[in-house]
Amino acid sequence: MDRREFIKACSVVALMQVLWGCRRLPDLSGAKVPEIAEFEREVRLALSRAKGAFDLVQVPMPGPLEVHGASPVNRFGMAIDLDACDGCGKCILACMQENNIPLSSKGERDAGRFMHWIEMHGGAPAMCFHCGNAPCEKVCPTGAASHTPDGLSTMMYKRCTGSRFCGANCPVGARKFNYVDSVKEGLARKFNPEVPLRSKGVMEKCSLCLQRLQDHKHAQMATRPGVEWRGSGLKTACSEACPKNAIIFGNWLDQDSPLVQEAKHRNLYVPREIANLDPSVVYMRGRR
Amino acid sequence: MYRILVYIGAALLLLGAFAFGVSLWEGPTAWHTDVRTFWGIPISLFVLWIGLAHAGTLISAIFLALGYPLGRRTSMVAELSTLCSLAVAALFPLVHLGIIENFYMVVPFLDARGNFSNLRSPLVWDFCCISVYGLVSLLFFATHLFSEKFPDLKKLIRPMAWLLFPLVLWVHTIVSLDFAVTFVPQWRGAFFPLYFIAGAIYSGLALVIILLTAEHCRVRVLEKLMLGLSWFMAFFWLWEFLLKGSFSFEVVFLGAVVPQLMWLRVIRENAFGRLLVAFSVLVSLGLERYILVTPSEYNAAEYFSWTDLGLVSFSLGLFTTLFFVFRAKFSSLLEGEDVVMGEIVLQQDESDKESEKVSLPEKNDFSILRLPLLLGVLVTLLYVVWAISVENTNLAPLSVVNVVPLCLPLLVLVASFTLCARPLWGISGKRVKVVCAVLAGILGCLAGAFWAGGSSDVPSGAVSVQEIDSTKTAEFIWSSRCAGCHGQDGKFNEKFVREFYPLPQKLTPVRLDTLGEDSLVKVILDGRVNMNPYRGRVSEDEARGLVRYMRHLAGEGE
Ligand code: SF4
Ligand code: SF4
Repeated sequence: MDRREFIKACSVVALMQVLWGCRRLPDLSGAKVPEIAEFEREVRLALSRAKGAFDLVQVPMPGPLEVHGASPVNRFGMAIDLDACDGCGKCILACMQENNIPLSSKGERDAGRFMHWIEMHGGAPAMCFHCGNAPCEKVCPTGAASHTPDGLSTMMYKRCTGSRFCGANCPVGARKFNYVDSVKEGLARKFNPEVPLRSKGVMEKCSLCLQRLQDHKHAQMATRPGVEWRGSGLKTACSEACPKNAIIFGNWLDQDSPLVQEAKHRNLYVPREIANLDPSVVYMRGRR
Repeated sequence: MYRILVYIGAALLLLGAFAFGVSLWEGPTAWHTDVRTFWGIPISLFVLWIGLAHAGTLISAIFLALGYPLGRRTSMVAELSTLCSLAVAALFPLVHLGIIENFYMVVPFLDARGNFSNLRSPLVWDFCCISVYGLVSLLFFATHLFSEKFPDLKKLIRPMAWLLFPLVLWVHTIVSLDFAVTFVPQWRGAFFPLYFIAGAIYSGLALVIILLTAEHCRVRVLEKLMLGLSWFMAFFWLWEFLLKGSFSFEVVFLGAVVPQLMWLRVIRENAFGRLLVAFSVLVSLGLERYILVTPSEYNAAEYFSWTDLGLVSFSLGLFTTLFFVFRAKFSSLLEGEDVVMGEIVLQQDESDKESEKVSLPEKNDFSILRLPLLLGVLVTLLYVVWAISVENTNLAPLSVVNVVPLCLPLLVLVASFTLCARPLWGISGKRVKVVCAVLAGILGCLAGAFWAGGSSDVPSGAVSVQEIDSTKTAEFIWSSRCAGCHGQDGKFNEKFVREFYPLPQKLTPVRLDTLGEDSLVKVILDGRVNMNPYRGRVSEDEARGLVRYMRHLAGEGE
């Protein structure tokens, strides 16, 4: 190899390093943290831009998951009472504070995107429906989107490469992509120390307040060992925050769960797009 | 001539390089996306260029496999264009990713922590198929290129062509599945594989026609084929319209109406006329890919930002530069003696068929394929059995169907490397050998790094506001289980503990560190001396959490 070739090779390597360096995470000490009022303002903005209503179809009550390895005793889910809900948006704010959801940058808002895990569709709150047969998980190349035995569709943030295939494949658009680095931009606030902030380039969505479930489970195992854990008495942040008690969390396989108690007497609906994907979150309307 | 084209390419490349840099820097916000469109221009360019790559293989390998060889130069040009387009195509999925350095997680192999990529995802199939396709095309190109100098290699060409032939169709079917398996209404349709393959070949033919025009020659078969395919595409577009009501005037006009000009003698016989038609086909197909990838209600092409255009220019520039640089470098090897530069060679296909037929191997020459194929089948079978049985973090187990898309690429990879390794090794010089050995070493290191897996620490920068804290849980368990003896603060419940002898050791950070986390976890689970075993009452993870909490308590005491 002569001198020229050597210099050429070196400059190629240097160029590659510069390009690679572009992707490094910046130093974040001293990033600004937004005020709570800004979150409230953004929720109001989102409410004013509600999306179109879903085309709802009636479904029977969710049963055990039809996946190998699923738990026979637990399947968590929620029912949203459309007769009680008045679309106040308190659940959106509660969810943001529970899960450290960042504000959206101006550019994102202009593109019509918010990071909110709950969005209003024609006055009805909609989060991820935790489909039992989730199409988003099927297409995730790395397995970052996967199912827990008790019916949660979860995200492993560290395993996500940001291919956004899952986002394209969710029929109701429940998945939110971190297009911007919210910590660096001063858009994120860590309300809840139990939930990590997500870095730029990963996908996120409603986790059914996974951290609450985990804590509840551990607490019960510590205090009442030997008793089977069925999540009774637990509430998600959105269901806790709802002043009308319109969001009911519970265990579909537990007959004593408030969810089953209520849903028994109601007609259950889900958006048409996911009706045959076995969703765990449903809408309720009318009495039976 | 080539120099000018290289300069044009470099100019486009430089123009686009800025957009490329911005895309790397900014991530997916750099180009146009919206509420429903998560992907945007990089994926459209990927689909377009991978399609362009296929025509190269089709023209040389498939024609050769079917016993219809084209002139050496035609096929070499086509193969080189395959390789260059593949290089361009491979860049875009990487740019597209949110976290580029995590791309290796797509490789369908287990790491030490039990992470396995999701073989149900078309993206994994895609990744494997395209890498294999790239490698095998390179091998085919090398064999073909050097077969002039080393006649030994001649007998490998046709078996290799037969290996590549199904692979091309397979690869593009998989690319179409990226769309067809989804729930996006605009992407559904069982005809997608055919539609994609036809589109790929169509656009690829246009590209090869352009490249051949730059060589001052033409091959009529390809023109006829392109004209025929324009009808195919028109049919698919009609089908799409009837099925989904989607229709784009520009695409149909440029892709189906303009090519009909080839019926006119003046256009057909004029190099510029042919270029016009070919370029119109390329533009049409590029536009069509873009519209397909952005399933919005509006015409997304109107929202092209300058980065989108920059990326298009980058891809064009990169291809042109790569192609013509290599073209100039290999020009003595590419051209057969029978081709005179600078003249329009009419009916080249006819005359060349005669000259090449002589060198075609006899039928029984395929026997050299037997061993490689056998090996390929074996390796594939082993892989399938392993992949299905392996314990991984996904809930639902894999079924055979999930692995099928990987079978052919794996088979072809193993077979073609076994087939070509020895002859190619024999003819390669010392330098090439050293490079190969170094590459193999690097590959080994990478495999090791893959097995070890990346760091699972949350990047400290991203968690700036407060540290993650699961101490709450540990504290809870500590108070309910351990505090009875060890005290709420870890300093013993003196009254109670005095009854035991010997007195337990104090928990200091030094002592905790010498004992080590694992052995302390064991102590908690299995007990020691006066300490009761807690297995079954706390899980291993919780025990670990307790040990960490002990350290926390011990540290606080100081
Ligand atoms: S609603 Fe969307 S994100 Fe949630 S499980 Fe179903 S497909 Fe996945
Ligand atoms: S269940 Fe939890 S994460 Fe899901 S929408 Fe409600 S508050 Fe948000």
